Amino acid sequence: MIPISRRPLLGLAAAAAATAAMPREAHAADRFVYANNSNFDTLDPHVVFDTARVAVRLNFYDGLYRWVDNPPKLIPWLAESHETSADGLDWVFKLRRDVKFHDGSPMTAEDVVYSIERILALNLGAAPLFRPLLEAGATTAPDAHTVRFRLKEPSAIFGSLVPDITVVNSKLVKRNERDGDWGRAWLARNVAGTGSFRLRRYDPAVGFIAQRFPDHFAGWGPKYLDEIEFRTVLETNTRVLGMIRGDYHGTDGYMTPDQIDRFRASDTVQILEQESMRVFHFCIHNARAPMNDIHFRKALVHAFDYDGFINDVLKGSVVRNPTIIPNNMWGAPQGLEGYKFDLDLAKAELAKVQAPLRPITIGTLAGFSETEQAASVFQANLRKIGIEARIESAPWPTVSSRMRNKDQQYDMVPYWKSTYYADPNNWLGELYGSRYLGGGNVSYYSNPEVDQRIERALVSTDQEERQRLNEEAARMVFDDAAGVWIYNTKWFGPYSKRIAGIRFCPVGSGQDMRWAHFA
Amino acid sequence: MKRLELILSRLLWLVPTLIGLGVITFAISHVIPTDPVAILAGENATAEQIAALRTQLGFDRPLPVQLLAYFQDLLRGDMGVSLFSQQPIAEELATRLPATLELTFAAVLLASVLGIPLGVVSALRRNSAIDHALRIVTVSGLAIPSFWLAIQLQYLFAMQIGVAPLNGRIDGFGPEPVTGLMLLDSLLQWDWESFWGALRHIALPAITLALPAAATIARFTRAGVLEVVTSNYVLYERAMGLPGALVTWKYVLRNALISTVTQIGLIFGVLLSGAVVVEAVFDWPGLGAFAVISIIQSDHRAVMGFTLWAGAIFVIVNLIVDVLHTLIDPRSTR
Amino acid sequence: MSAPNHGFLAGAADIARRLLRDRAAMVGFTLILLLVLAAIFAPWLATHPNDVYEIHTARRLTPPGAEHWMGTDRMGADIYSRLLFGARITILIAVIAVGTAVLVGVPIGLVAGYYRNWFSDLLMRLSDIFLAVPQIVLAIAIAQTLGPSIENVILALSATYWPFWARLVYAETRSIKNETFVEAAIALGASAPRVMILHILPNIASAIIVRTSIGMGATILTAAALGFLGLGAPPPTPEWGRTIAESREYLPEAWWYALAPGIAIFLVVMGFNLLGDGLRDILDPRIRRGGRGP
Repeated sequence: MIPISRRPLLGLAAAAAATAAMPREAHAADRFVYANNSNFDTLDPHVVFDTARVAVRLNFYDGLYRWVDNPPKLIPWLAESHETSADGLDWVFKLRRDVKFHDGSPMTAEDVVYSIERILALNLGAAPLFRPLLEAGATTAPDAHTVRFRLKEPSAIFGSLVPDITVVNSKLVKRNERDGDWGRAWLARNVAGTGSFRLRRYDPAVGFIAQRFPDHFAGWGPKYLDEIEFRTVLETNTRVLGMIRGDYHGTDGYMTPDQIDRFRASDTVQILEQESMRVFHFCIHNARAPMNDIHFRKALVHAFDYDGFINDVLKGSVVRNPTIIPNNMWGAPQGLEGYKFDLDLAKAELAKVQAPLRPITIGTLAGFSETEQAASVFQANLRKIGIEARIESAPWPTVSSRMRNKDQQYDMVPYWKSTYYADPNNWLGELYGSRYLGGGNVSYYSNPEVDQRIERALVSTDQEERQRLNEEAARMVFDDAAGVWIYNTKWFGPYSKRIAGIRFCPVGSGQDMRWAHFA
Repeated sequence: MKRLELILSRLLWLVPTLIGLGVITFAISHVIPTDPVAILAGENATAEQIAALRTQLGFDRPLPVQLLAYFQDLLRGDMGVSLFSQQPIAEELATRLPATLELTFAAVLLASVLGIPLGVVSALRRNSAIDHALRIVTVSGLAIPSFWLAIQLQYLFAMQIGVAPLNGRIDGFGPEPVTGLMLLDSLLQWDWESFWGALRHIALPAITLALPAAATIARFTRAGVLEVVTSNYVLYERAMGLPGALVTWKYVLRNALISTVTQIGLIFGVLLSGAVVVEAVFDWPGLGAFAVISIIQSDHRAVMGFTLWAGAIFVIVNLIVDVLHTLIDPRSTR
Repeated sequence: MSAPNHGFLAGAADIARRLLRDRAAMVGFTLILLLVLAAIFAPWLATHPNDVYEIHTARRLTPPGAEHWMGTDRMGADIYSRLLFGARITILIAVIAVGTAVLVGVPIGLVAGYYRNWFSDLLMRLSDIFLAVPQIVLAIAIAQTLGPSIENVILALSATYWPFWARLVYAETRSIKNETFVEAAIALGASAPRVMILHILPNIASAIIVRTSIGMGATILTAAALGFLGLGAPPPTPEWGRTIAESREYLPEAWWYALAPGIAIFLVVMGFNLLGDGLRDILDPRIRRGGRGP
């Protein structure tokens, strides 16, 4: 149990006691400092589900299984193994017996049941992944080390979702519940996990410091980090300069090549390069005129200067990705070539458009200058074929919430579709499947032929069939020019040269610190 | 007593002013199309999920009902909780206030230490080369864009010379919070390393804020001293070195600094409601940063809480300034 | 200010003469003149006028040289040319935002200052409320609701600036209302609007002019800060604050990127401040030098 970091204005009396009770921080030189591009307004693992704050879920908490390495693979974690019933509805997980929470109490099946019920009840974070599959009360604990999930329908992807059932200490959380809030107010400021690190200090305006949890069930290698700090540094340039100065030992690995070049030029930073699964594309609002006309969309896909953008702006650091499914993910259509930049072709397509043309709006992400640069490249070329494009920059929360509203969604939005779970459905299904309309399908694309394949792929247990279905559906979406797909990101992880042992996985974006150590 | 009357009437007006401010802010924060519920629910949320959440949070009620509920809570001293962190707004504000307070104190102190002597020298050597040079300096000080200055200072002192840190309040979390003011806390705990660290961190943001403030203070001081000394030639002579100079200075400064003190008060009030740009450039974990993130995410109650805080500070500082005026200059009690 | 207005034109000529003798004010005037000239003749002065909307990704971040006098930006556009066109935006924002604030604030201040009743109080408290709304909150709210654009920057600035003029005019009107010439006019049966417009307004005009000149500088600074925070005009608008914000990711290597727009903002604001100072010395010696805010 960690006291919250509150800053009383006048608490002189309590000061002495507090100072005595807390061990001093490790000396700054021994602490790993990560500059995070987003703020940690809550530490609750069940209410947020974004990459920006994944460090909380990975370092304080554990899931039943865990994603590691690249390409991502699932390894047993809190659970040792699982079995699935013949009808695909019953999933039974055997838990490890040696797992302890940070307060020393043992983790049992009861905690897993409480955690999944909490996710479903709060209905935030990863809940949308589980709610279609699990009813409240459908998870049971036959014994202290067995958990049984009874699904509503067979699911091919449930196995890839279990890492996101992060387990909290049910007794501790229950003690801190207030008016049936599932301990939300308390868990926002405190940690009740089994994870590799335990919370030492937290300030929502600054970040957190965590200490290694020596009793972690997975044990520790010969070298490890004793203390880690995740600090909020919103400005890209400050993160870059801070890395170069040696203030930080790690930061996000999806910066523009301009920034990577600066890192490479410095003698303090090493760049770990990895294939990733994060497709950069312009999402198109397929349900609004004139984008609901395939000819207009074809004009769009031929009006983006792919080579100019990739070679000049991104300095050839990434490779073209013709569809929404990352090239290195199974299910990506084989041998498919992406659309070519050809303004004459674009003009010809535009001539076939029936609906009157109008200025189109591109929503870009403030603070992610690459989206603005991509939009500027697009804007300049669209202008040449007679389409006026307006760029509206807004912070991600704003853009994201507008995207989810059919009327407010911009005409186009350039952004990255990240990996939440390593299955083609993460990209193709979520963005173009009708079942996700009003949810993840922000392209408002709907095609029964595509749906049929996506639906089948979601329940089929035959891997070969699933691959074929995804490839077919991806080709259909491609033929419909439902988006402007540009490239698959590489991960260029900037880390201090003093750091070794970073184990990158596209799901965790290199923020899982349990394997890292000072060289 | 006209003065008392003024104070009382202004205090009475404080309530309707804050209510008006509350209504305006409420309206503003609710016309924003950004849907906080959608942000809260996350990127993968479904439409039904968002709808359910909206009902649960009471965001589907008519706006006037929500506004009334807000004021009812406010009357009980409850500013509500942040939608995202689930923490009471009062606590969220209190968490960030010390950072802003400390920066404000540092900037105002620095500005006064620089501005007042410069203004006095300028006045006493009126139309000399020094006066002209100082005039250029003060006019420039008011014309430099603070965000540009902040960036340049960062490169010069953090990257080139390397004497100051880039950003933040301290490395790590600093001394255990007592008052929350890091410089003070580290002194109280005899922690010189933290004190030095905090001082180095606060230097650049404080300088950025202090420069225009010092220019303002210098200009007002110059005008004030000029007014006093030119209106009384004997005084001028004495101040310039004749016997009894010290006593004279006390008199001159007390009367000359009236408007300077007023200005310092106003600057203090402005900075207390969050120096957004400077806090953003230096990642200063203060109120300004909180206000920006809250309004971007449409965290209604947080936005309302911040605005009411800023508004109250504004009204109170103005009231104090006006009262000071009546104390010093009876003519302004009209 | 006990004399009623007379010989307005002669007065203006006198003011111009005295301004010409004030070296600092003339420097300020020259700077503003340069800004206006740059704005008007931007298409002819620019070496790459099309770079306001055209991009050349192959020429990104070129240092200053014969082809690009001030270098190029992240999209390969000519910074010098964009700087000139940026002058237009600066003028546009300053003039319209301050103009609107004056047009709204002055009548309100006049009315509130002329009458002494609950309505005056109400008007002034209303202006207090608007003054108390944090500008940044309002600016972000407007940008999120109506989209970030120049028009909306202007809207946000005017909405928070008018109370400054309202308060100024209120105080001036109050103090002048008891003067003999105003009381005489009222005694002679002049209507209230007539007294306000013909007798009071001309006599407080100098204070308004001084405030407006200083206010222009402050407005340009605030507008640039909003551009810097990403709340201003969208790309490819060559707004100066925005350019500085863009440049951050390339500093200090691309040192030329933020230099010119930073200096441009500085000089223009200084120009308005110097002119405002000069005007104040001549028109309204009672007001002391100093003060930021519009």
